Amino acid sequence: MPLLELNHLRKYFATQKAVDDISLTIDKGQIFGLLGPNGAGKTTLIRMITGIFYPDEGEIIFDGKKFDPINDIGHIGYMPEERGLYKKMKIGEQTLYLAQLKGLSKTDATAKIKEWFVKFDMNSWWNKKVEDLSKGMSQKLQFVTTVLHEPKLIILDEPFSGLDPVNTNLIKDEIYNLAKKGATIIFSTHRMEQVEEICDHIALVNKGQKILDGTVQNIKQSYKENLFKVKFTDKLQAEHLAIHLFEVKQKTDKEVIIKLDPGYTNNDVLQYFINKGLHIESFNEILPSLNEIFIRLVEGTPTARQFQEVNN
Amino acid sequence: MNKILLIIKREYLTRVRKKTFIISTILFPVLYLGLIFGMGYLGEKAKPKLHVAIVDSSGYFDKGRIERENQKDSSSILTLLTSSTDSLKKNFSEWNYDGYIVIPAQTNWESGIKNLLLNTGRTMGGEASGRVESKLNNIWNEIKNEKLGIDEGKKIILANSTVTVKSVNVNDEKANSSVASTIGYVAGFLIYFILLVYGSQVMMGVMEEKTNRIAEVIISSVKPFQLMLGKIIGIGLVALTQFFLWVAFIFIIYNVTQASGSNVGAMGGIVGKIQNAFSSINVWMILFGFTFYFLGGFFFYASLYAAIGSAVNEDMREAQSLSFPITLLVIFSIAMMPIAMNDPSGPIAVWGSIIPFSSPIIMMSRIPFGVPGTVPWWQLALSMALLIGGFLFSVWLSGKIYRTGILMYGKKPSWKEMLKWAFKKN
Repeated sequence: MPLLELNHLRKYFATQKAVDDISLTIDKGQIFGLLGPNGAGKTTLIRMITGIFYPDEGEIIFDGKKFDPINDIGHIGYMPEERGLYKKMKIGEQTLYLAQLKGLSKTDATAKIKEWFVKFDMNSWWNKKVEDLSKGMSQKLQFVTTVLHEPKLIILDEPFSGLDPVNTNLIKDEIYNLAKKGATIIFSTHRMEQVEEICDHIALVNKGQKILDGTVQNIKQSYKENLFKVKFTDKLQAEHLAIHLFEVKQKTDKEVIIKLDPGYTNNDVLQYFINKGLHIESFNEILPSLNEIFIRLVEGTPTARQFQEVNN
Repeated sequence: MNKILLIIKREYLTRVRKKTFIISTILFPVLYLGLIFGMGYLGEKAKPKLHVAIVDSSGYFDKGRIERENQKDSSSILTLLTSSTDSLKKNFSEWNYDGYIVIPAQTNWESGIKNLLLNTGRTMGGEASGRVESKLNNIWNEIKNEKLGIDEGKKIILANSTVTVKSVNVNDEKANSSVASTIGYVAGFLIYFILLVYGSQVMMGVMEEKTNRIAEVIISSVKPFQLMLGKIIGIGLVALTQFFLWVAFIFIIYNVTQASGSNVGAMGGIVGKIQNAFSSINVWMILFGFTFYFLGGFFFYASLYAAIGSAVNEDMREAQSLSFPITLLVIFSIAMMPIAMNDPSGPIAVWGSIIPFSSPIIMMSRIPFGVPGTVPWWQLALSMALLIGGFLFSVWLSGKIYRTGILMYGKKPSWKEMLKWAFKKN
């Protein structure tokens, strides 16, 4: 069952079609990657989901009902890319304040904060001020304030920027944990290797439009180029690499990357090499990385969006 | 609604608990009084005590008169000398005189002495020579009285028989205009001070949220309008707290001096005077008016300052240049105040106290003169209604600008762009 459905959302600004007819469905418990180059419209899209902007057109269905920002934002946790906290405010007080703004009672909030502070080893921070924290520490704190009220939907915009590998893993584990407990997570980033690792499902946005949507596996399958990597135990001879079945993309002594010609199957290739009397050590299909797909799809479009006249 | 309360609470508590708030609350009245008394004290201390030699060629002045006058008024010391003008000119400073005056021989008591010269070695201020002048005049008056045969009794009659004119408002005979102008001046100035100081605190608070990048986090929990309103109300309450603390100070000091000082001469006199003054004005009306105009004016200006704060980036200069027109309105009001107070029923006073942007200061300077004597009820009602309308409009307008501005980073918007934000739909 979907937690969030976006139907034909549009948001135009004076000089830009920031979001131009985007529809998405995100299921409960999913870790959803929202990808796109800078200025693609990701932030605007997220701001509509978090109730900061009203869409010009289209509708948002949240948890089965029409999205009602005033009541529903209590069930959303949002960590914007531009994050921040009150520098001069004590950490415990600040976390409590932000939790209360999300609708938690003081006692509930205090109990939950203590729990999280223990989990993240932040107990001694309570009476410190944010200005005393390092960048990574305040990032951790920001994550806690985002998820403290147990939101159904957690939106994380570049959650790992500025974190060291240890803290990255800590947060990553927490993200898995939260998803396992039933939270839905939207993960916005342009770090593709993290997306591949974490996300079940992704959507790629460019110039205000969705250009790709699906599970990571499906997308890779649909963008594969029939490339295979074959390893041999013997040294390869030139005459082994015949003509019609495939095209050689890259070749070393005992290894070759081939592109299968249309109409042939994997078995045809294997058959061919076996008939040639070669010993095959391994045979793997090479799937494109999300990074390659991303670059292929986005490349050629101008890196910065041009200003355009919008009549609305 | 609950969320606005949380925001108000945070804004209020973080500010009231700050050391600067406590210090400024205590120090402001202390410094203010210190400044007034200190200046007076320094002025008194810095007055030079002039030693002046008098050479009398006319024969009217004698040692006895001068001695008596020196005892009565010690702000300068006159000494009658008989030495020649030439030696005095050469030696007066060696003889420890600050200067000398020569009274010409052809002096006639009926026509008086014009253009006496105080010859000194340095440049004297007008005040110093004025004191010597009034002293000589006192002596001269005695000489004249003697020549005219006026005795002590007649002198008292002459001194007391003067004409004094005081204005009385037939609509409100209790109105005491000198007390009223003092209170009006203090009230108007306080509002001016609070609008500028706390208005810019609102602006800085908004800028802080924007530069700390916490604005987006917060407005994913509350509406931007709630955040703005909570901040304005919270800071307004801080200002109100400070004001009532000051009122409480005055009240306590007043009561303490009254309890202990009713028989302590001078203090008792002052307390009595204050008591009389307060009985001639309507304290509750003034307190009510002050609270209303303070809040109305604060909402009116603070929301505009909030809009400016949301529109600019961390650059303080940008904020100053963009908020200058608003600050100018406040300064314009305070500049109008003396004109309005000179003629509290004149057109400038009336219109200034009705138009919302100046009414908080101008009306507050008029109310102590008396309601409905000086300020008719219709004017007060119209002014209050317009101020409420004015601040509702400015809060609405600022809310629109704020909503867009708080998430905008980059170049400083122009006034035109900000108005566009205010009037676009959604």
